[in-house]
Formats: sequence, C-alpha cells, structure tokens
Amino acid sequence: MPRYAMVVDLDRCMGCRACMEACKVENNTPTAAFWMYVFRFEEGEYPNTYIWFMPRPCMHCDNPPCAKVCPVGARYKREDGLVATDWDRCIGCRYCEVACPYGVNYFNWKEPVRNYYLDWGERDVRRVTNGQTPPYRNPDLDRPYGEEKRRVAGGGRLKGVVEKCTFCVQRVEEGLQPACVANCPAFALHFGDLEDPQSSVSQVLGRKHSWRLLEELGTEPRVYYVGAHPAHPESRQIEEVKARV
Amino acid sequence: MSVQVQRLPYGVGRFQVGFWLFILVLLSVVGWGIYAYSRQLVEGLVVTGLRDIGTMGGAAWGLYIAFDVYFVGVSFAGITMAALIRLLRLEELRPVSRMAELLTIVALVLAAFSVLPDLGQPVRGIVNLLRYARPQSPFFGTFTLVISGYLFASLVYFYLDGRRDAALLARIPSPLQGFYRLWAAGYRDTPAERERHHRAAFWLAIAIVPLLVTAHSTLGFVFGIQSGRPGWFSTLQAPAFVVMAGVSGIGLLLVIAAVFRHVLGERERLHEAIFRWLGGLLALLVLVYLYFTVAELLTTTYTGHETEVRLTLALLTGPYAWLFWVSMGALVLGLVALLLPYVPSVVPVRVPSFRPAFTRAAGLAAAGAGLLLMIHRHGPRLAPAAGAGPEPEWVGWVLAGLAVVFVLSWFPLFARSVVAAGVAGGLLVNVAAVGKRLLIVVPSQTHGTLLPYGPGSYTPTWVEYSVVAGLFALGTLLYTLFVKVFPIMEVAEEQ
Amino acid sequence: MMRAAWTLLLVVAGFALQAVSYFFLAAPLGVPTGPVYSNPRVPFAPAVFILGVMLVFLAAVVYELLPESGGRTHRGTG
Repeated sequence: MPRYAMVVDLDRCMGCRACMEACKVENNTPTAAFWMYVFRFEEGEYPNTYIWFMPRPCMHCDNPPCAKVCPVGARYKREDGLVATDWDRCIGCRYCEVACPYGVNYFNWKEPVRNYYLDWGERDVRRVTNGQTPPYRNPDLDRPYGEEKRRVAGGGRLKGVVEKCTFCVQRVEEGLQPACVANCPAFALHFGDLEDPQSSVSQVLGRKHSWRLLEELGTEPRVYYVGAHPAHPESRQIEEVKARV
Repeated sequence: MSVQVQRLPYGVGRFQVGFWLFILVLLSVVGWGIYAYSRQLVEGLVVTGLRDIGTMGGAAWGLYIAFDVYFVGVSFAGITMAALIRLLRLEELRPVSRMAELLTIVALVLAAFSVLPDLGQPVRGIVNLLRYARPQSPFFGTFTLVISGYLFASLVYFYLDGRRDAALLARIPSPLQGFYRLWAAGYRDTPAERERHHRAAFWLAIAIVPLLVTAHSTLGFVFGIQSGRPGWFSTLQAPAFVVMAGVSGIGLLLVIAAVFRHVLGERERLHEAIFRWLGGLLALLVLVYLYFTVAELLTTTYTGHETEVRLTLALLTGPYAWLFWVSMGALVLGLVALLLPYVPSVVPVRVPSFRPAFTRAAGLAAAGAGLLLMIHRHGPRLAPAAGAGPEPEWVGWVLAGLAVVFVLSWFPLFARSVVAAGVAGGLLVNVAAVGKRLLIVVPSQTHGTLLPYGPGSYTPTWVEYSVVAGLFALGTLLYTLFVKVFPIMEVAEEQ
Repeated sequence: MMRAAWTLLLVVAGFALQAVSYFFLAAPLGVPTGPVYSNPRVPFAPAVFILGVMLVFLAAVVYELLPESGGRTHRGTG
C-alpha cells in the first residue's frame, strides 16, 4: 500500500495561484470554496520587505482531528493515507470543520448547482451560451473509490454536507497527479509515494530540510514544506480572502 | 387512602381566556420559527450567518450550538433537585421537585430540536447517528447519554414520581380521568407501594448522579479536547460546563417557582425557605464559576501563547468585549442580588440614594437606548466589523452604567424579599449563561485560527433568531400545557 | 423475589449491552488509520448502546409496576 504525501517547495512557489484554479476546474468546487488556497505573505518594514507564498491544501494528517471527531465516520483515513469525505454519509454537523486547525473544510451552504461562479441554467446566461452547458460535471467525480467503495471524490455534490481537498482521489487512483500538482508551472508541488525511494517526494525530502504546519499539535500532516519557514505573527497576508457565499 | 381530593388542584383542567391568549401568542411564535426553519431547509444554511472557518472568515457553529449547550445546561436543574431531595432528604424542597423535573424534560427536548437545524442534512442525521455513530467522537456521548439516556431517565423518574398524584386525580370525575388512570397504572398508595417507590426513586437518584456529571461533561468535551482551537482546549472545560449547567438550571427553576407562587397563589407551599435554599445553592455555583473564569483567564494570558492571547484580548477588549462584560456583569450582579437577603437586617442596605422611581425610569430608558444603539451600530452583530458605527465607545459604557444603576435601584427590594432576589438572580445568571455559551462557541472560530487567516466575524440572521425564539416558545408551550393537565406540585397531604 | 430478579436482570443486561456495544460492536477506538475506524463493526451498534442505557432505567419502572409474584396476595403488607 502506498503512502501518499505532498511536498510544497516554497523556494519555487511564485504565488500565481494556478493550483487554486486547477483545483476548481478539476473538482467543481462551489463559489468561495478553496480546497487549495495560497497565502500571500509580506514580512518586515518598508523598504526591507519580503514577500513569500504558502499553498495550503488539506494536510491529510496521519492523526486527523477531523476523522476523530466525525460522529458518523463520513470523514475517514484511507489505507493509502488520503483523508476522505464520504458525502453520501455526511450529516453536515461541521464538527470536522471546527476541529481542524488548518481551516480546510468547506460546507455546502446552498444548493451547489446554484452556487457555481456561473449558473448555466439561468435565463441570462442561457441567452449568451445558446442553451449549451459546458461539460463541467465530470462523471469521474460520481464514482465510488477505494476498496471500501465510498463516494469521496469531487465537490459540490449535495447541499448541507462538508467537503474538502481529496488529493484528487479520482486522478490518483488512475495513476495521475492531483490537479494542483500537474498544473503548477513552477514545479513547486510534488506528489507521490513516501514508500518509493524514487518518487519525487522522497527525493526532495531526502535532499532538503522540511517542516510541516502546526507540527506541535501532533496531527502528523502528510503535506511537507521545504524552504522558507512556517508563517509567524510577523507574516501579514497581503490580501485576505473573505469570499462569502 | 388518607388523602382526599374533591376537585383537580393547582388550576389543572381550568382554562381561562388569558390562558388561551397566552397559548395563541406562543403558537404564533412557534409557527414563525417553523417558517424560518422551512426557509433554511429550502435554501440551505446560507440563510444563517454561519460561514466556513478560514478563508471565508466565519464561524461554522453559532447560535444553534450555543443554545443547544444552554438548553442541555438548563436540564441540570430537574435531576439535581430530584437527587438532592432523595439522597440528602431535603423534604422542604419537595414542592419544586416536579417543576424541576418537567424543566429538565422540556429543556432536553429543546436541546434535541436545536441541534437539528444546525445539521445540513437533518434526516440523514437521525438515521446515520443511530447507524454509524462512533464512540470516539465527543458527539457520541451527547446524543446517546444526553439526548437519549438523560431524557429517558428523566421521563422514567417523572413518570414514577407522578403515579401517586395520578392515582389521586383518577378518582375525581374529569375528562382526563382515563389519562390519570393510565398513568397511575394500578397504584393505590398502599404503604408497601409507597415504600417500593421510595426505594426505586432512591436508587434511580443514585444512578442518575453519575449520569448527570458524565452527560454535562461530554458536552464540555465536545469543545475541551480540540487542540486546534485556542480557547477550547482546556481541562477546565468539562467541569465548567457542569457548573454553568447548574447555574442556568437552578436560576431558571427559581424564576419558574416564583411564577407559580404568584399565579397559583401558593405562598404557603412554595415558602421562602425554598427560595433561600435554591438561592444559596445558586450563589455558590456562581462563585465556583467565577473562580473558574479567573483561573481560565490567568492560564491563557500568563504564558502568552500568541493565539491564546489574541483570543483572550478579543474577549476582554476586542469585538466580543461587550458580550463578555455584559455576561460577567450579569453574573456578578446576580450573585450580589442572591446574597442580599443574607445580609443581616442590622446592616442597612443603602445602595441607591436617589428616588427609585426616577432611577428605574432612567435605567429602563438606558437599557432601551443601549439595545437600539447595539442594533443600529452592528446590526445585531456578534463580532462587529472593525470601526463600525460613528458612536464613541463611551456612549455604550454610560448606558451600561445606567443599566447597572437600574438593577441597583431594586436592591432594597431584594434585601427584603428572598423571592424577588431569587427571580432577579435567576434571570441575570441566565442572561450570563447564554452570553457565556456564545462566547465559548463563537470567538474560538472567528479569532482562534492557528493559520494567519485574519479575524473573522459572525452575525446571526433573522432565521437563527426566529428558530431560537420558536424553540423558547415551544418549551413554554409544552410546559404550560402540561401544567393544565397535571398538577405541577405534589398534591398536599391535607387537601 | 421475581421483581428483584427482573430488575437486577434488566440493570445487568443494560450495562452489559452498553459495554459490549461501546467497546466491541461500535467503531473501534484509537487513531483512525484506516477505513475500519469509520464503520461500526455491527450496524446500528449505537442504537444498541442507547437500548442499554434505556434498559437500565427501565428497570425502575419494572420494579415498581411488576405485580407481586403469586397474583394479588400482598404478603404482610396489606
């Protein structure tokens, strides 16, 4: 069984947020939900300032607080290390969300079809598109995954359930990279099997010093950062995203 | 049988116009709450003020969870009273025993109902919890022990405790005779049956006390064992929940007892000793809670862990300061009011020296103006956006001061009457209880993010307020209706 | 005698159901490292737990309502 992990090379990240875009396209997440989010920080005082970027996917912790508190086992850890959300079972209590120290969970506050950036069914939009609906609904996202055969892929399936980054389980199971990794123009994101010494994650981790976010909480994240340093009180966000549905 | 009853006691089965009007008002509030909830069912939780923690800068849990915690807390009263009466043989508290038990049952029903609107998929919630619930989740205890076990235990206790009265009432011709006969289930009040009931109730009380502690603690653990939320992760959380439960429960019981003392004119049976006893217990619990608060604040600020300090500052001086200080002020004022009757009459209480009528008018005006100011300034916002509203800070503080003067102006009355002191104390600590519940639930989400998302905000919407108001009305409705079909106090021996 | 026996049986059975369902029938406790931690080992194990809690308190009802063994003869109590 592989042990999947992600490595984020902050020395390479240039804050273009292509990963956020790729994630939205691949997973169909509703408005204001950012399964992948890139912090843009500024530190120091003018003129000695320094700008750096920190992508934040789900950490897929080995000791996941969200899976521990889930009352119905909708949030669970897969054997390969992915922390999955079964949107067929989730009751929408949002306990995972308040338990997560990283803030990676997104609740479907309204009917997701009415919550994409463009509502293709709306009259004004239809007038422009001539009734054509782009094939945004990826059938791969509806299939059950894993040996346990549970519906854990994709976003925006159902009103009133919690969803979050899946490490693109629908791609990973087919041997592909997650969308954010595959689309990073700077090769700042790596994804692979920690058990395999030839994988890019093993290679990078062997070469460079790495750290993980909020390691002191004992959540054992599967997302490793190399370069830069963890955000600290001096790190100011250049622009705070407070996108509301 | 020694006890003889001619007509149904304590207003049971007698319906006046005022009663129907009261029911009508309650029903309309319940109906409004149901309408609000139906909007939420159709639109989704987007109609509430809840939003995601992190990039959305919101709180995922808000009013619903806070009031769930509050209602579970109120349920503390009944079982505690039952246990106290049985285990410590406090016979003089007997008259409030059934009021307290009914309060427990109604509060637990409301607690169950206030979780449902918080769920995104309520129907799934009911099915999946029974089907999949995991003991590892702190919610397991909440819904198995609190909602199911506690409620069932209370119902059993209530049922068994009511059999004697049901048997008495079953002898009086009334439309409810069949119901009473069913409840009595063959009870004839023989010495053997009485002895058996005493024994059963004693053991039930013993079994319920550990359930009491575990049930209220599990709710504390929902928050207390989450290391990812500053302000929640604390050993004190579970004990503080038990104590605060006692504060709100006993406080509300004092108010209810005073209401029945007045409405039923039962000054003899609901005598002052009951209020003195409950008031003393409540004062003690408030003192313990204040001690917990100080210990908590010292722990979070002394070491100076950045996120904990940020959260504590948000409470003490930041956007939640008004709620924090109103709650603490209500708690302290309630404590003083409860202790006033204990001041020996040789020590004259000379708090206000102005004419009371003037002070009260000023105080009322201040409270009203304060409310209007709050609403105008923030909308009814819990954590206002930075720099909201043109009014300077001091206006709020002056109004708060006037409100305090308003409460102070009643102090001579509290010193004279233990009942008035109990009502004021009970109301004040319940205001504080609601405030503290909100302060536990919300700030740790908006101001307790460990990654630098920046502070968030949470503003409840009309839907949330309406659902909560509907819940309160539903509780009052259930309570009132029950009082009309069954005596709220044990039928006295001499009747 | 019958009454005491029934009551005791209910209490014991209730606590046993609680313990068994909590530790053996419901989802296992521990750090969730696999899907097995998300599923109860027996479906509806939580309902069994609730049943256990209810049985314990139902014992009190049984204790009070169960007629004396041997019909309506009240031995020495009147």
